[in-house]
Amino acid sequence: MTKKLFVFLSLLVVFAILLAACGSPAGETAPQTGGSQPAQKVTLRVLVHQNPPMVAFMEAFNKKFQDKYPNIVVDMSVVNANDLSTVSQTRLSANDIDVLDIFGFANGAQPYMKMVDAPNWQQLIEAGLLMDLTGQDFLANYDQNTINDAGSYNGKVYAVNLGRVIYSGIYYNKKLFEQFGVKVPTTWPELVTACETFKANNIPCMTAGGKDGWPIFVGAYGLLGAMYPDQAALVEGLWTGKIKWNDEKSLEMWKKMQVYARDMMEEGASGIAGDAAPGRFASGAVAMFPGGSWYAPAIEAAQPDFAWGYIPFPGSDNPEDNKYWFGKYDQGWAIAANTPNKDAALLYVKEFSDPANYQEFVDAVGFIPTQPTAKLNTQIGAEIAPYLSNFRVGYEQYWIAPKGAGQFANPWASYFKPFGTDDDPQVLADKVQADLQAGLDAVK
Amino acid sequence: MSYHFGRGKAKLIPYLLLLPGLLFYFLISLGPSMATAVYSFTDATGIKGAPIHWIGLDNYREFLFMGRASVDNLDALKRTLIFCVAVTFIQFSLGLLVALLVNQKLKGTNIFRTIYFMPVILGAVIQGLMWSLFLYPLGGPAAKLLSIFGLRSEFLGGQPAEAFAWVIFIQIWANMGITMMIFIAGLQTIPTDMYEAARIDGANSWQVFRNVTWPLLTPSVNTNLLLNIIGSLQAWQLFLVLVGYRNGTQVLGYLIYATGFGQTSGSVTSSFRQGYAAAASIVLFLLVLVIGMAVQYILQRREARILG
Repeated sequence: MTKKLFVFLSLLVVFAILLAACGSPAGETAPQTGGSQPAQKVTLRVLVHQNPPMVAFMEAFNKKFQDKYPNIVVDMSVVNANDLSTVSQTRLSANDIDVLDIFGFANGAQPYMKMVDAPNWQQLIEAGLLMDLTGQDFLANYDQNTINDAGSYNGKVYAVNLGRVIYSGIYYNKKLFEQFGVKVPTTWPELVTACETFKANNIPCMTAGGKDGWPIFVGAYGLLGAMYPDQAALVEGLWTGKIKWNDEKSLEMWKKMQVYARDMMEEGASGIAGDAAPGRFASGAVAMFPGGSWYAPAIEAAQPDFAWGYIPFPGSDNPEDNKYWFGKYDQGWAIAANTPNKDAALLYVKEFSDPANYQEFVDAVGFIPTQPTAKLNTQIGAEIAPYLSNFRVGYEQYWIAPKGAGQFANPWASYFKPFGTDDDPQVLADKVQADLQAGLDAVK
Repeated sequence: MSYHFGRGKAKLIPYLLLLPGLLFYFLISLGPSMATAVYSFTDATGIKGAPIHWIGLDNYREFLFMGRASVDNLDALKRTLIFCVAVTFIQFSLGLLVALLVNQKLKGTNIFRTIYFMPVILGAVIQGLMWSLFLYPLGGPAAKLLSIFGLRSEFLGGQPAEAFAWVIFIQIWANMGITMMIFIAGLQTIPTDMYEAARIDGANSWQVFRNVTWPLLTPSVNTNLLLNIIGSLQAWQLFLVLVGYRNGTQVLGYLIYATGFGQTSGSVTSSFRQGYAAAASIVLFLLVLVIGMAVQYILQRREARILG
């Protein structure tokens, strides 16, 4: 009897050890398998921002998804990027959305900032409107740093970011460069010379979507990056007064920005919409196009045979300073916390996160992947690759203007004529610093 | 004059009949306006579930007095007034002129009435898109027209003053039809024998207009002036569609929208500040109220003087 009891107890211990070994380590949450096809037919409401190649991909993906899960009908809405936060807020508040496109988390308040409001993504999380995705198995497909940097808050995951983009590069027309014997510029003087050569031959040097405003100043963020490669330090310096927009170094930046806006941009660029600019460049009429890496698929779609390259904006006179990419975490997926279609929503994001589908996505939109197994198969990927180790999150993702700062408290090339009213770099630099200082003084 | 609803409880009938309309007005218009006034003293984000704190006059202090941003806000306020004066004056004058022309008993006037009224039915987005295409600086119709004379313009993308002037023009083009229609309705209520009597007395066209048409158009004049003033003070949609949020072109209505709904510049993720936007709305409301009441007072006195 004692022997039998001993054997039974021994087996019990072994069984318990085996069970413990199969379980999760203490303190960790077991992955959730996230999402399943509902038994009843449901409509899944998805919101994305306007980016033509992405929208085209999403339409194809939705069709495939619906074929695979016939009980889920995807109702996708597309809004202009400028309106994404507004529409997200209103539709989340009305509980009228299930899955939404959300830009990588950025613009968080830093300890040296005073009286700043929380960015909109943080406001949405704190209001309990975004679902906690922590522990979902599809998160394992993504790079952990990306999850931490672009989709987490207070130790929980609220978004999966789908890719990084660069906004500090210039597309160039290879044919025109060869035709006029122009060297691909690696320094600011070379860029100026290139533009002069093209203009002397009646070829507009650069184009951009000036009608939308931001493509002009975002196009020159490479110039800003060349002057201030550590953009987080730049933002801190501006807030603490160690860097001023009218100091000697910044003045050099303003002088270059004036040349960029006044002499490099083609006449009429102010009327071109952001979506139309890639087509204008792909038409072959213009030599260069300062723009984000997300434009590459649109250029390819407009003219598949068009030969183009992509280089970092050569804003500095020193070529070594011009080997950085500045950008941001772009689109991501979040799920409404109060969605009545939780299973379908999780299934949608899970399906999207499948490595094969994700690879198709990055191939279609030209993002720098955030899944470590995905490859840079695209031409833009090949153009970006040489400097990819020098990728840095850009100024815009760190900057929050102090309350009370004036409307000119930004490093924007679009303040210069013909896009704005200014034509004197020193006067503008003083005005920008005064507008910033007014805010800094107000929040003291 | 007898009272149709009798005595006792029957007296309540008119009020009961008014009740549904009043309730609807309260629900749709007055209620949200009062809520906006309350929100203006809070840090509300407009996000469902987000905590709301009472912050007193902080939003007003920030909007009107804090740093350089308050100067920019006051500039937007001035710009709103300039927009209002320009639009009201031109739209009113042009609407009256066109109404007088298409009110003639001539062939084809109905076609012209339709043409002049047509922009009204299009809506701000379509109106904006049409003009954006027409004013496209790289080979758009207007650019081609200018190039014939060796001229060029950036139109809506040009200097803020130029872009602002274009929005004034398009606002007038878009709404002149309503002004015209109200004037036509007013003109058609003037008895023809008044004109005949004036003609028999030897009045020329200007005298007929000054002494017969203009005084008898007083109700239409009042309606149009008030609608034009209030409409132009609140305008912002065309600014959004035509020029976007550009320094030197913002009016108060657009500023409120952009602030309240976290409109972004580039890829900045800004905050939702509906409490602050509500304070700005109340400033705009007070502006509309003061101007509207003053104009209405003057117009009513004028109407009483002319029409008795």
